[in-house]
Amino acid sequence: MFDTALTVNDLILLAKGAGMTLLVTAISVFFGTILGIVFGVVRYQIGPWWAAPMTFVLDIFRSIPLLIQLVLANAFLTAVLKLKMSGFAVACGVLSLYTAAYCAEIVRGGIESVPLTLRRAARSLGMSWGQDMRNIVLPLATRVALPSWIGLALGVMKDSALVYIVQVVELLKSTQILITRLQEPLFLLMICGMFYFVISFPIARFGGYLEKRWSND
Amino acid sequence: MKTGILAFGLSAATVMAGPALADKLDDIIASGKLRCAVVLDFPPMGSRDADNNPVGFDVDYCNDLAAALGVTAEIVETTFPERIPALMSGNVDVAVASTSDTLERAKTVGFSIPYYAFENAVVTSEKAGLTGWEDMKGKTVGATAGTYEAIWLEGKVKEWGEGEFRPYQNQADVFLALSQGQLDATVSTMEVAEANVKSGNFPGISIADKAPMVPDYVALITLREEYGLINYMDLFINQQVRTGRYAELYKKWVGDGEPANLSIPGVYR
Amino acid sequence: MFNYNFRWNQAFNSLPQMLEGALVTIEIAVLSMMIGITVAITLTVFRLSGNRFLSAIATTWVEIARNTPALFQIYMVHFGLGGFGIHLSPYMSLLIGIAFNNAGYLAENFRGALKAIPDTQTRAARSLGMSSGQAFTNVVMPQMLRIAFLPMTNQMVWAILMTSLGAVVAMNTDLYGVTSELNARSFRTFELFAIAAVIFYLLTKAITLSARLLAARLFRY
Repeated sequence: MFDTALTVNDLILLAKGAGMTLLVTAISVFFGTILGIVFGVVRYQIGPWWAAPMTFVLDIFRSIPLLIQLVLANAFLTAVLKLKMSGFAVACGVLSLYTAAYCAEIVRGGIESVPLTLRRAARSLGMSWGQDMRNIVLPLATRVALPSWIGLALGVMKDSALVYIVQVVELLKSTQILITRLQEPLFLLMICGMFYFVISFPIARFGGYLEKRWSND
Repeated sequence: MKTGILAFGLSAATVMAGPALADKLDDIIASGKLRCAVVLDFPPMGSRDADNNPVGFDVDYCNDLAAALGVTAEIVETTFPERIPALMSGNVDVAVASTSDTLERAKTVGFSIPYYAFENAVVTSEKAGLTGWEDMKGKTVGATAGTYEAIWLEGKVKEWGEGEFRPYQNQADVFLALSQGQLDATVSTMEVAEANVKSGNFPGISIADKAPMVPDYVALITLREEYGLINYMDLFINQQVRTGRYAELYKKWVGDGEPANLSIPGVYR
Repeated sequence: MFNYNFRWNQAFNSLPQMLEGALVTIEIAVLSMMIGITVAITLTVFRLSGNRFLSAIATTWVEIARNTPALFQIYMVHFGLGGFGIHLSPYMSLLIGIAFNNAGYLAENFRGALKAIPDTQTRAARSLGMSSGQAFTNVVMPQMLRIAFLPMTNQMVWAILMTSLGAVVAMNTDLYGVTSELNARSFRTFELFAIAAVIFYLLTKAITLSARLLAARLFRY
């Protein structure tokens, strides 16, 4: 099994691919979370009726395969609108909105988990809406939302394997490049799978631990 | 996201400034960069060397074209099914990707004159033991999605009314499936078939027969409306043959022998 | 700005083929869920069994399914098993790949659901003379499936979305496969995939809606 033609250069290529996977994930999760918090709070504040158009649009991102979202966004932005955009920008844009769509639901769930009576009590103590959000809702909602958010971030990392379709060379694509040349598919795929696993497994376990710890008190 | 908004703003600004008059040929020269779509799992036309740098006939051809234009070449790897979408979406300027000049494709993209011609081979797994192309009838066969061979082979399977056709996403997966015995046979260009059989990377495959297809003339492609660039590419290909560069590249990547004749007797282009 | 020529007619001509593909997509999603639920229940029983070997199998399965990309899992089913001489058709590779993923996620959902069912119920069932198997199938499992109904619906939606990954194993009869094959001929990328997107959207909505109706019927008190 370890009798392989893999060279240091190939490992560098794999590492670059892994770096691209992490970079795309980090950018998308960062912007997606900010957007998701904004959408989630707005959605909660203005109520389900007024938020219906927004909910509808965000729901689309959760009802269509990511692969098709990427193909469509790429075709629309570059072939229809004729914008000069790199595949990387398209990938980050689509994944950010994809993340935001899920994150908005998590944020809304988090806010709704804070008992209304508690918030009324806060406001009756003279807190402003901002103070209430910051000091009461944020810490309580975070406890509910964080484990799901960790799950989402890991989901985005795994889903980022699909951005190869817009010519971004991430981990799975660089693995395929090496498979083409070296023809050691099983060995190389194992390495690729191990990488995802090694990143995802401990973080997922940590999320599970937080969930358990925070739900017990 | 940020780049998206920025790009959107910039392009809105360009639109307001009035329609751009420069065509792609001017754009390429002005930007100093020629972005070529090349398929890199298609030796000897395109592959990667030990340092994972792109090499091959198509890569050299792109570099030659860039040199003629006085710009630097940028190789963008695409798979066969993605090469035309990548061109249409403006991710690349031209595709130097062994693209067969089918009439169906010419409805969408603009072809130069042919720059190479392939003959296709039937490759079989030794277990299936095909001896002629007719033996493919009723078998599980596959090819790379969206290629000339794939369209031909799928048509044949439909015509025979038995057997199964599988379109894999890239050439490597086809040969992997063939070598694992998941496919009984595939059709690929003679050059690719010989390179893959010789490499020893795929044990248990051999060339069974020539596929009974008309020679597969391949051309450079760009957007359909870019006549300036298409004209330039036509002349460039003519010059490649005239100067002996075509024969030189053939010798370097394919081997000894005569490179295929690119003109068809008895008809104008 | 819109100097792109939309050719919707050309794309709409392919609608019958795409709808046929949608049927295959539904078929794979439904079958993969049926296999997934069965395997997930088995894995849950493995975990509850107290047998170290069995629960190690269950844990490995769940962690691999949850911590690697689905695309990777499907590719491995086709080419990974192929390396050992096990040859699966594109259809089977996709089905088993999705079922593998479903089973992992569902087993985890079932575990969460089990926490909500008090231990005392099992004990009560046992003291009524039920065997531990009977207690699980008759008392615990129905409640577990009810609590995990919403996650199961979500997983079904995921299964629909995951069928789009079949192209890596040469799948060409499902909705995504049909669409990309049409695209390889006509290159009306935007139009074709926009239609596919609408069909996918309607499919997922239909599933969520019918799950809601089903839940209303099943879980009336």
